[in-house]
Formats: sequence, structure tokens, C-alpha cells
Amino acid sequence: MDSIAALMGGFAIALTPTNLGLAFLGCLIGTAIGVLPGIGPMNAIALLLPFCFALKLPPESALILLAAVYYGSGYGGRITAILLNMPGEPAAAITTLDGHPLAKQGRGAAALAVSGIGSFVGATLSVVLMTFLSVPLARIAVGFSPADYVALIVFALSLLGAVAPGNAVKAWAAGCFGILLALVGIDSGTGVERLTFGSIELLGGIDFTVLAIGLFAIGEVLLLLETRLRATAAALGHGERLSLKELLACVPAMVRATGIGFVIGVLPGAGASVAAALSYTTERRIADRAGTFGKGDLRGVASPETADNAAQIGNLVPMLSLGIPGSGTTAVLLGALLMYSITPGPLLFTQRPEVAWGLIASMYVGNVMLLVLNLPLVGLFARLLTVPAWVLYPGVIALSYAGVYAVSNSPFDLLLATAFGALGYVLRKLDVPLVPIILGFVLGRLLEDNLRRALSLSDGDVLALFASIPSLLLWACTLAALVFPLIRRKV
Amino acid sequence: MRAQADRVLGGALVALAAGVVWHAQSLEVAFAADPVGPKAFPTVVALAMGACGILLLLRAGTVWEKAERVLPGLAAAAAMAAYALLLAPLGFITASALLCLVIALAFSATILQAVVTSLVTAPLLWLLLDRVLDLPLPAGPLGF
Repeated sequence: MDSIAALMGGFAIALTPTNLGLAFLGCLIGTAIGVLPGIGPMNAIALLLPFCFALKLPPESALILLAAVYYGSGYGGRITAILLNMPGEPAAAITTLDGHPLAKQGRGAAALAVSGIGSFVGATLSVVLMTFLSVPLARIAVGFSPADYVALIVFALSLLGAVAPGNAVKAWAAGCFGILLALVGIDSGTGVERLTFGSIELLGGIDFTVLAIGLFAIGEVLLLLETRLRATAAALGHGERLSLKELLACVPAMVRATGIGFVIGVLPGAGASVAAALSYTTERRIADRAGTFGKGDLRGVASPETADNAAQIGNLVPMLSLGIPGSGTTAVLLGALLMYSITPGPLLFTQRPEVAWGLIASMYVGNVMLLVLNLPLVGLFARLLTVPAWVLYPGVIALSYAGVYAVSNSPFDLLLATAFGALGYVLRKLDVPLVPIILGFVLGRLLEDNLRRALSLSDGDVLALFASIPSLLLWACTLAALVFPLIRRKV
Repeated sequence: MRAQADRVLGGALVALAAGVVWHAQSLEVAFAADPVGPKAFPTVVALAMGACGILLLLRAGTVWEKAERVLPGLAAAAAMAAYALLLAPLGFITASALLCLVIALAFSATILQAVVTSLVTAPLLWLLLDRVLDLPLPAGPLGF
């Protein structure tokens, strides 16, 4: 019952005119970003983050805006997937399987409607689950000692390898690199300069926005430049509209997909793409009696889209309750909170309830906005696909640099962002995942602080790291997460 | 040769790790605030990264996909680096217009399209950021 009272407090925050407006703006941007292939929620949040900070938005308002972009993108990706046979964001890849055949049969509008409703159902049911599960989960972690936190963070980082199939070693290397980037600057414990190469500009450390914009906005555009974009959008189609009977036939699929999506989302490491794929294959096994899946079955659109949005919300649960992000985008959100000197984790719900509950309440409102925006305006969003690259990307780049400049007013940071952009491009070409760099960067200082605290408490005895039951369990899981990808690769 | 991309990456990781370890060992701590100090953590992380590098050295690597077009990317990267240096002396609108011009051309716009794009985008962004959102941007010699 405390959850309900706390949620009401959250609504008092989320329903202020500023926060409502920001949620609406975030939903609009999120859907648009989801539609555009090549720009995902991570790029958009990286772009917006410096402005939130420079405009001195309070943390709960910034989080409401950025999170709306995040879950809004789950609504946009399907539009491109259905009309273009090309996922607007990675998690929408599965939606193309049945979505595009439907569009070719002239039922694009029906597919868009059912996927929009599915997105809403998945997201909203997951927000309800999140409302009741976050605090109990946080309560488990309240008793965590610094040593337990060390084990938890190492576990989260080790999982990166399990998520990148065939690429575990590169994911871990990228995670280590991210941690090292976080250590650049003056060491808070002793005042010693580390990894600064004698540069005065690096004394204060690398700014999170510089890294995020460099890797995810500038690097992405450099990568887009080397291939020609070829795309022709299928028409919306004037075929039969979605009937109530068809929609009701999709309801069981949506409920199952919500369950699968939310669970996958809460587990650290596995993201929305995994959830969408798993949900689709499960649904096909259960419900595909006539063999219509893959040829344009509405349930084949509803299932992955619902799971995608449910997983996105589920991803936020460990980020808020434990302070451990489960995906790249939630890592960027965590980085945003850290910039505001707020450390998510078990104490967030009691110490900064306006941030935690304001966000949760705003997601109820935001998803209603997204449903209302997406059903009638789907054609308008689809028209974004006709904006040529040479109009869009110069603006994206100029906005990226303006954002970096707005935070630091330093030409050095502009150069650093360019360097990270070039690095991001090279690493993408080498098939090195970039998300671990962000995760390592965000978690690196937390890991070192907790490690040093734990070893101070034990007077330098390393065995103290393995002294409690939660830490032993987490270390065992870490070992499994490290060994499993290495063995699987050899088979 | 191109299939050696992972070996190059592995070698770079090992070299970087060695550099970090060497750097960490050279840190002089005046007083011991905690039993760990600033050296141990970067050393351990760098060793882990070096181990990943060695694993990459041991296996046949990814093929480095050749870019379909090389020049646009280089031009864009050069324009971005130039932007960092020219923003303060030229002012936001001029510098951004030049940057947008190059990026638009890199995305295969015609000259006219690129000029129009840059002449619209840069002042619009300035209006939004400087006037509406009140984030001070550098003014050039012309005052904007």
C-alpha cells in the first residue's frame, strides 16, 4: 500500500505543467527518433542530456524528458519496420517479419494500429509491475555492504559478454576501456593525477556528455556517411482497418508478450531485442496453428512490439532499484543521474522519492500520450522517412557540438568529442560493441569507490570481498558469465 | 591482410594496457589514505583488458569491411575538428553554417541544397539555443 501512496506523490510531480510538457516533448522526440533508422534512443538521449544540464532542469524533470524519449522510441521503431521492412531501432527487427507482409497486402494501417496498441499494453502493464516490484527489489539491496556492491557491479559488467554472442572478449575489453576512461583525472581519495597525460583540461575527468555524444552521435553519423541510404517507403495502405475482433484475438498474445518482455527486461544484460525475438518465437509455437506467422499475421506484429516496450520498462527497474543499468540506454540515463550527483540504488526511493516516483508516475501519463499521438498521427511520423539525410544530419551534428559546448564552454571538449566520434567509428568497424564502454564509464568510479571502501573496512584483507552470502552468490554468477561465452565459442 | 583486423585491435589493447600499468606504477602517493591507494584498481582493470587483447591476438579476426565511400567521412571528420578550433573566433552561426555545409555535401547534397540547408539550420539553431533557451553561444566578429 505504501507503493500507492508514493505513486500518488509521484503524480503530484509528474502532473505539474512543466513536467507534463517535458513528457510530451520527450514522447514526440522519442517516436520521431524511433522512426528514423540510424538514430536510436541512445543517440537522442546523448544529444538532449547536455541541454538538460545546461538549462538547469531539476533532476526529476530531466529524467522525465529523457525517459520519455527512451520509451517513446519503442513506439516509433515499428513504423519503419512495417512500412520499410527495416527496423527503425534494433528491437523492431522482429516486427518486420509479419509487419511488412501486412503492409504489402495493403493492411499497413491495421498493422500499425495493432502494434501501437500492443506497445501501449506492454508498456503500461510493465509500469504497473514496476510500481509494485521496485521497492521490494530495492529493499533486498539496502543491506548490501561495499563488498557486496563490488560483486554486483563486477557481475553486471561480466554479463556484457553473455549478451554479445561470439563477441564476448571484445565486449569485456570495451568495458575495461570504459572503466579506464572514468579514472582519468584527479583521484578523489588521494589527490593524485591519473591518466591525464599532463593535460590541464583532463584534470577534472572526461565529461559524460562528451563521451556519449562522441560515441553515439558523431560516430554514428561518420558510419552512416560511408554507405548510401537506400530506402523506399511502402504506402500506408487503404486496406481494411483493424476490427475489434482482430484486436481481441491479439489480446492473449499481448499478455504473454508483456510477461516475457518484462522478465527479460528486468534481468540485467538482456535487452529489448532479445525480448522481442523470444516473445515472437514463443507465440508462434503456441498460437500458429494455421501457419500464418511470417506471412502477415497480426499477432506476429503485436507480440514482438508488446514485448519490446515491456522490456524497455523492465530495463529501468534494476537501474532505479539497484543502480545497475541493464542496457546501453539505461546506462546513459544512469549517467545522467550521476551528473546530477544522484546515485540510483536502494536509497533512491526513500531519499529522493520525487525522482523515482515522479518518473514512474510520468510513465503512466507518457504512455497514454504516446497512444493518443501514435494512432492518429502515424502517417505524419511516417513522413519523417522522406526527409533527406542531407537535411537531417547536418542539424544533428551541429546540435551535438552545441550541446557539448553548452555544458563546458571548452573548445577542448569539442575536439575530444570529435576524437571519441572517430574512435566510435573505428570500433564499430571492428565489431566492438560500444555499449560496454558507456557501462564501464558509468560504473567505473562506483566500482573503485566501493572496492576501496570495502578494503578499508577490512584493513586490506582481500578475502573480505567474498565474506557474505550475497557476494558469494554474485561472484559465482560472475564466474559462470565469464566462462560460458568462452566455452561456447570453442564448441 | 584485411582479416587481421582483430589482431591489430588485440595488439593495440595490449599496448594500451601496458601503458596504463606502467603509468599506474609510476604514481607517487604522498600519504596513505586507504590501504588500496590509487594504483591497484587501474592496474587490475588494465591487466584484464590486456588479457582480452591477448585472446584477440590468438584468433583469426573480423574482416574490416571496406567503406563504400571514404572521402565524405574524412571531409566530415576534418570539418568537425576544424569546427572545434574555429567556433570561438568565427562565432556560432558562421562556424555552424560551414560545418553543416560540409556535412550536407558529404551526404551527397547538391551545392545549392547544401547551401540552403546550412543557411537555414545554423540561424535556426542559434535562435533556439541562444534566444529561446538562453544558452550563451560564442559570438563572432559580426556579433552573432
